[in-house]
Amino acid sequence: MKKFLLLALLCIGSQEALAAGGAACGDYGECDSFNPELNNLESLQLGALTFINHCYGCHSLKYSRWGRIAQDLDIPEDIFTDNLVFGAKVKLGDRMTGSMKPEVSETWFGIAPPDLTLVTRLHGSDWVYTYLRTFYEDSSKPYGVNNMVYPGAAMPNVLASMQGQQILTCKDVPIIASNGGVRRDEMGNDITEEKCGYLKTIEGSGDLSVQEFDEVIFNLVNFMTYVGEPSRSDRERMGWYAVLFFIVFTALAYLLFREYQKDYH
Amino acid sequence: MEEKITTRRKVLIGMTSAVGAVGASFAVIPFVASWNPSAKAKAVGGPVKVDVSKMQVGQKIQVSWRKQPVFVIRHSKEALENLPEVESKLDDPSSLKIDEPYRDLNPTRSLSTEYTVIAGVCTHLGCAPKYYPEMESQPWDESWVGGFFCPCHGSMFDIVGRVFKGVPAPTNLKVPPHYFDGSILTIGEERGSA
Amino acid sequence: MTQQSSGFFNWINSRLPIVNTFERHLSKHPVPKKVNFWYMFGALASVVLIIQIVSGIWLMFGYENTEEGAFASIEYIMRDIEYGWVIRYMHTTGASMFFAVVYLHMFRGLLYGSYHKPRELVWVFGMTIYLVMMAEGFLGYVLPYGQMSYWGAQVIISLFGAIPYIGESLEIWVRGDYYISGATISRFFALHVVALPLILIALVFMHLVALHEVGAGNPEGVDIEKHLDEDGVPLDSVPFFPYKVLNALVAIGIFGIVFSIIMFFFPEGGGYMLELANFEEANPLSTPEHIAPVWYYSPYYAMLRAVPDKLGGLVVMGAAIAILFVVPWLDRSKAASIRYKGILSKIAMTIFIISWLMLAWLGTVPVTALRTTLSIIGTVIYFAFFLLMPIYTSIEKTKPVPERL
Repeated sequence: MKKFLLLALLCIGSQEALAAGGAACGDYGECDSFNPELNNLESLQLGALTFINHCYGCHSLKYSRWGRIAQDLDIPEDIFTDNLVFGAKVKLGDRMTGSMKPEVSETWFGIAPPDLTLVTRLHGSDWVYTYLRTFYEDSSKPYGVNNMVYPGAAMPNVLASMQGQQILTCKDVPIIASNGGVRRDEMGNDITEEKCGYLKTIEGSGDLSVQEFDEVIFNLVNFMTYVGEPSRSDRERMGWYAVLFFIVFTALAYLLFREYQKDYH
Repeated sequence: MEEKITTRRKVLIGMTSAVGAVGASFAVIPFVASWNPSAKAKAVGGPVKVDVSKMQVGQKIQVSWRKQPVFVIRHSKEALENLPEVESKLDDPSSLKIDEPYRDLNPTRSLSTEYTVIAGVCTHLGCAPKYYPEMESQPWDESWVGGFFCPCHGSMFDIVGRVFKGVPAPTNLKVPPHYFDGSILTIGEERGSA
Repeated sequence: MTQQSSGFFNWINSRLPIVNTFERHLSKHPVPKKVNFWYMFGALASVVLIIQIVSGIWLMFGYENTEEGAFASIEYIMRDIEYGWVIRYMHTTGASMFFAVVYLHMFRGLLYGSYHKPRELVWVFGMTIYLVMMAEGFLGYVLPYGQMSYWGAQVIISLFGAIPYIGESLEIWVRGDYYISGATISRFFALHVVALPLILIALVFMHLVALHEVGAGNPEGVDIEKHLDEDGVPLDSVPFFPYKVLNALVAIGIFGIVFSIIMFFFPEGGGYMLELANFEEANPLSTPEHIAPVWYYSPYYAMLRAVPDKLGGLVVMGAAIAILFVVPWLDRSKAASIRYKGILSKIAMTIFIISWLMLAWLGTVPVTALRTTLSIIGTVIYFAFFLLMPIYTSIEKTKPVPERL
């Protein structure tokens, strides 16, 4: 009885998961997975540089402070102040409130660019990582680009000069039969169909290769993941000690408990 | 059923308690540390800069650092030359009782030969002393030679903030960390440190 | 202990019964000697209560109960206060663990008939604690003023609107504004940090006093008071100190492992403990695509959604909680423990657990037609389990309960 019910529940569950639809990354489908490297300081530093140079012009990180980033990312303060800090009057203890007045940006973009401190926590780092790499040319849009993850995004592809032109193409793909194999005709050739909506970067149109560009975005999202929760690497480090402590404590308490249990067992 | 205290039990009790105590003391750390000034407080309490070139000789200005008054006084040459004369009235003329940051550098107690930089917080109970530079008889001291007088409990200090004998305040007024870049005085940090 | 205690203790004790109370309720309090792990969750619940009170007090040092400042103050705690994130995650993890522990504690009660005569009041006080906890959890969840705080509160407060005649004005009265604003936050804050915790502590006290009057139960459903030694102490009992304290220490150790793993490695609980939409500040003009309650309300939220009528949904949800209060009078079985109950009770219990878990899952996912049907089935099973209890517990054949533990 129990097993039957559980089985029934599992069936419903798996069907539901399929039916629920709406993949996490919009038209792109499932997001590309992103595993942060929060102890890779070089990656975080490069990401911070990219953020300040290309994103901070419009987007603030208003819950974060300049000095905390310099400290956590191990950037000497004079280098940090000269190369990264945006604006002459900024003090290291100040919050990164952005360099654009909301009214100005609203007339530029229609909406104020959101603060990005928590964006990796809100949407997940996977989502941000995929989003930043899926802009494609679309002349029907005001900025000439559209995004697969977030169609209609009111944001230009600010990194286009690095990435180059990315377009949507169609290609022939084999049809997958219901048994999971590739469907073939009588002659034994694969049957294909034309499917559209594939991203393609035009080679040589950007400063960086696809691989190099992915790395830039990786570093950038790595930095944004750090900013979303600056204490995360501390947290995970301390976690091991806490768990270890409780394991030792439990073991000792258990021995003591067993010892005293002899009195009444 | 009788509870027996064997050696094994004693050892286990000792070990469990010791591990528990270690854990408890680590668990207390976040709760204690979270009472320290936050990053926000530290940012607000960061160093302040002030241009002292416009000050007149003998003038005192008040600067707010960490929401506490800091007094900057521009002394005349004569006033500084007369400083040794009051030393007999002072409790600790060379600031030996406190951790004086720039001891024996200048008679002003600061990094400048002309300006004194002192915290405007009486070392007695924290009131802000008032500045009475004139050498004239005052209700609290008939032979007043100029200096600071605390209205709360009557403590007296000389013009560079050294405490008089026989007043409630135990020590000289503190000298906050500071440095001069030309006429720009930075209060709240040492040169080069940040 | 009393014999050796000094004159000072005697002096105190003859004026304030510290020693007597300590011995009666703690050190010498007799506890059944044979219980299983299900009997540890009460102690763990009191541990979590302490964690919540202490971490909550510390959160108040940084939290700002205003519309403009609430959301930013949470990030202030998370970033600018030293170890603020430890305290916040302790509180958010604690909230979920509180419910986890209490649900297991309640389930233990159902499983072993902990509400059986003479423990009816213990159960009723416990249920009241659960009810207050639900209110406490809801109020606390609104305080960060994120998107899910706002829209979750919007949904729950709109429930008041279902009450005929006074509903709409009641909604406004609860909010103190025309939307969930700073006025709402500051009253929710006061209730969350002062009023409800006071009630909660008082109720926990009553729960324990009532329990110690009748004594703790056991998984066999044996009445240990029947066989006493010459001092009047049950033969099948051991004193609370040191035996049950050691038992509790082991439980606390294991609980600490689980708690630390969640708190340090999965503080968001996959979005079920800290919902991701709550990482965005409340925006009264834009509803998130999918509103789900945190996991511990989800079975009742699923019931609310299963009923295609506003007032009906509210009534069903309220009844689902209310019916728990009368369980001691619904169970007619001679045996308290499921071990000695008949086959009907065992089947009913199994179906009940499955449907409850299903409802819990349904409450967290977006609505589809199939899911609504499942929610209705789950709701019917939930109520059937309780409403049919007087019948199936009285007609089934129970096994004889042993005399001794």
